[in-house]
Amino acid sequence: MQLTRLLLWAWLGVAALGSVAEAQVTVGSTTSFYRESGGGLESTAITPSLQIRGDIQDVVTLRAGWEADIVSGASVAVVDAPGGEVDAVTSATKWNDFRNTATAGIGVASEFARLDASYTYGHESDYRSHGFQLSAQAELFDRNTTLSISYGRGFDKVCNLRQPTALEAVDRQRLPTSDGCFGGEDRESLDLAIHTFQGGWTQAWAPILATQLTLTAQVLHGYQGNPYRAVWLGRAAAQEHHPEHRARYAGGLGVRLWLAPLRGALQLFGRLYRDTWNIRSVTAELAYDQTVAEGLRVRVRGRYYNQTGAHFYSDDYTRFPRGQYFTGDRELSPMSSWLVGGRLEYDIPANDEGSVGPFARFVLAAKFDWIKYDFRAFHYGQVSVPNNTGILATLGLEAGF
Amino acid sequence: MVSRSSSELKALLLTLAVAATPACSTVRPEDKEFLAHPAMTFGSEGDREGQEEHVLQNREASFGAGGVSGGGCGCN
Repeated sequence: MQLTRLLLWAWLGVAALGSVAEAQVTVGSTTSFYRESGGGLESTAITPSLQIRGDIQDVVTLRAGWEADIVSGASVAVVDAPGGEVDAVTSATKWNDFRNTATAGIGVASEFARLDASYTYGHESDYRSHGFQLSAQAELFDRNTTLSISYGRGFDKVCNLRQPTALEAVDRQRLPTSDGCFGGEDRESLDLAIHTFQGGWTQAWAPILATQLTLTAQVLHGYQGNPYRAVWLGRAAAQEHHPEHRARYAGGLGVRLWLAPLRGALQLFGRLYRDTWNIRSVTAELAYDQTVAEGLRVRVRGRYYNQTGAHFYSDDYTRFPRGQYFTGDRELSPMSSWLVGGRLEYDIPANDEGSVGPFARFVLAAKFDWIKYDFRAFHYGQVSVPNNTGILATLGLEAGF
Repeated sequence: MVSRSSSELKALLLTLAVAATPACSTVRPEDKEFLAHPAMTFGSEGDREGQEEHVLQNREASFGAGGVSGGGCGCN
């Protein structure tokens, strides 16, 4: 109800201001379908979203948005060592989840600078979040240089099973179900504070060359595990136990080069990442964006990702424990992934009156990605991760009034 | 001490040189036709790329530095 009310007020705000102040209103919608297939641990996520933006005389921008995640699948509740006898995959637990997020934001722009502020509320049966973001951007040197900074603050709450505070981590039980979360007597909510800082430098070097350097730092404090997951420790299984502090640092460089004879752009991206859980990663991406007709573009790309594992990650805590922490999270193990994909976008050319039917602008987009994961040091008992292939398909449209 | 001052001075000069570089590489507004193309604009994909970022963030341990939108064409 709170979410619906927030969205309704945001919509009314944009619509009312649009009508009185001659705003340019843009409405966009996307729907994504993600499917991870493989031997008993399939999962599916459908993500519809809606965004509304009103630009008032190029000075004030109002934004409102909604997104949902409708997720279903099966997961392993107790992650066992490679020598385990239990067939964890066949006995995986089926689950469903429904996440809603609503966003409202305002921006103010002058000729060479802009300020933006936004708020996001997220709601699901076992998770609540409030997020605030402030960002500033300035254009310098004949608009060849753009500098931007932003700060985001998240106030998240995670549902967990209520257990005695003095209970040792190795004796803690996992949350069996989300029933009773945020109200039930045998449930508690744990805080997670998130601070995100980001700086960006975009530079036009030549009429056909632009680069963008982005630096991000994030500090998290609070509960960062999956309350439903337990790890087999030898004599018993205990709820996974992660450190409460994590600082994450990333630096990315994007390069775009226009290939005039082909009427296309070569797009390169590289990123280095490390955090205080001792995860280090590298990401490399190569894409090519080709204009095939007026308003019609095709983009193809490939991406490679590789990471080391967290310092407390082990595939077998009974034989190789890693101190006081333990995890059953495959994303914290050494892993890599490959992605290949393509996108088709059609920005329908305007007629002689400068419109597209009843719209000032109309864009259609379709996107498809195929992702292959390699979890080289993660097992569910005696089997490797079966659901190691994903497909992501997205359809989107944007209409300007 | 001398060597430390010298290396600090070099670092300062290098920083100033890097900071001044953008000012020297001016692309004139009338030469920005290609830079204004959506394929050359960082972040122009907007929400359509956001959902893929959401998927990958949930399946990999890394986060951030994915870029910011804008970049300003400055064509007019």
